[in-house]
Amino acid sequence: MIWQQLANGLAIGSVYALIALGLTMVYGVLRILHIAHAGIYALGAYIGLLAFRFVPNFWFSLVVAMAACSLAGILVKRYLYMPLLTLPRIVPLIASIGLFIAMEEIFRIVAGPYVLSFPADPGLGSLQLGIVKITNNQLLVFLVTCILLAVLWFIMSKTKLGLAMKATSQDLEIASVMGIDTERIIAANFLIGSAMAGAAGVLVGVYFNSVYPTMGSIPAYKALAIIVLGGLGSIPGTVLGGLLIGVGETLLLGMTDIPFPRDALAFIIMILILMFRPYGLLGKE
Amino acid sequence: MLRVEGIEVFYGEFQAVSGVSFQVQEGELVAIIGANGAGKSTILRAIMGLQRCRSGRIVFRDRDITAMPTHQRARLGITLVPEGRRLFPDLTVEQNLLIGAYRRIDPAEMEEDLERIYGLFPVLKERRSQIAKTLSGGEQQMLAIGRALMSRPQLILMDEVSLGLMPKYVDEVFRTIEGLHREGVTLLLVEQNARKALAIADRGYVLETGRVVMEGEAARLASDPRVKKAYLGG
Repeated sequence: MIWQQLANGLAIGSVYALIALGLTMVYGVLRILHIAHAGIYALGAYIGLLAFRFVPNFWFSLVVAMAACSLAGILVKRYLYMPLLTLPRIVPLIASIGLFIAMEEIFRIVAGPYVLSFPADPGLGSLQLGIVKITNNQLLVFLVTCILLAVLWFIMSKTKLGLAMKATSQDLEIASVMGIDTERIIAANFLIGSAMAGAAGVLVGVYFNSVYPTMGSIPAYKALAIIVLGGLGSIPGTVLGGLLIGVGETLLLGMTDIPFPRDALAFIIMILILMFRPYGLLGKE
Repeated sequence: MLRVEGIEVFYGEFQAVSGVSFQVQEGELVAIIGANGAGKSTILRAIMGLQRCRSGRIVFRDRDITAMPTHQRARLGITLVPEGRRLFPDLTVEQNLLIGAYRRIDPAEMEEDLERIYGLFPVLKERRSQIAKTLSGGEQQMLAIGRALMSRPQLILMDEVSLGLMPKYVDEVFRTIEGLHREGVTLLLVEQNARKALAIADRGYVLETGRVVMEGEAARLASDPRVKKAYLGG
């Protein structure tokens, strides 16, 4: 059964990676922990569900959610972080936590405190690989994650925008000396990161067939643990960290009889990493 | 070409630059000399837009750029070789150079400039796909200068380019600066190494605690007894 658990773990881990990517990208350029990013993720689930009720097509709702979250990400950057950037870093962090809590309340007031179902069927069918059965929804998560990661990889390593994004995260001041409009590069980081979070929201909504106001609470802090594990600001590290935590949790829960709280694993790992390897798996010293 | 009129720059309550005025003509090599903490770097940062001026004006080619964001100043043709090199540490040598040409689009021009930089600093060509932070100090300084040249700048600001280099690299860097000057590039140099700076400059300014205390032709400054005593070791 270990292979079955591995498939489950990779599916969860893929979603973790998608959420955490935005966090790491924003940290990379602004050195801010963008906690409200998990609010964007939940927003993606709600917007996706709303779109699905109008047009019951998974891909349509995915695209709408990603677009809406990009916009939301840019607005958060423009109206929340930019005015606070010159202040000590604790200020934007607190503002971000505040915004996140406010977003959860807004979801609760607007959509109700219930768990809503998200019965989208992308029509992929399931896949039998030997003894392992990859379900319809797992296939969906893998497919969407692979596409998004491929697009991100292409942007980061093959385009001028990607080069400017790397330069800006390595030295923002000098990037502007080179003629790079760093404000726009920061906006691009929010846009791309938020779109991925929106996609993750839709995927989780469909995978567990549930959308609810506090669905971002655990991911908010778990994504933090993942980027610490991967190395703050490192994109490959974040993907690796997400997959490791997803697989680790699932195996621990599925293969052992220890009554272990699932969500604790990520944070225990985070504490260990901070103690023994503070720059993470693939981060820079 | 560049006119700085009575700028004042503060770090919090501390006044780093107090009403400094000077100018740089087209094609000139001007050096600002002074002790550590005299405000030399701050002046360059203000010209580049990395530090806000509380008062005064900065005019580049008859255009007031005092409030302009840094990247737009770069697009006007001003560039900075920053103190401590400040390369993009995890990009390759070539990527660092390409970022230098970020504001330009024409790929053919870019290729041509890349070859020009490699001609100027052959060691960079050998190491083109090496990660920048693995270069030696001298090589990093060549790359920082090369990166600045990639934008085909009108005015290059150089901040303590000889600081922390081995003597053979110091000479090479100053030879490079002289070469650029002969090609007609306009340069504003900030240096603790006053002797070398005045030896290649056309004109110089002496800065003390945020004020210009002396100015004139470089050769004249270099033979001035006060300058000799304070900055050239007697």
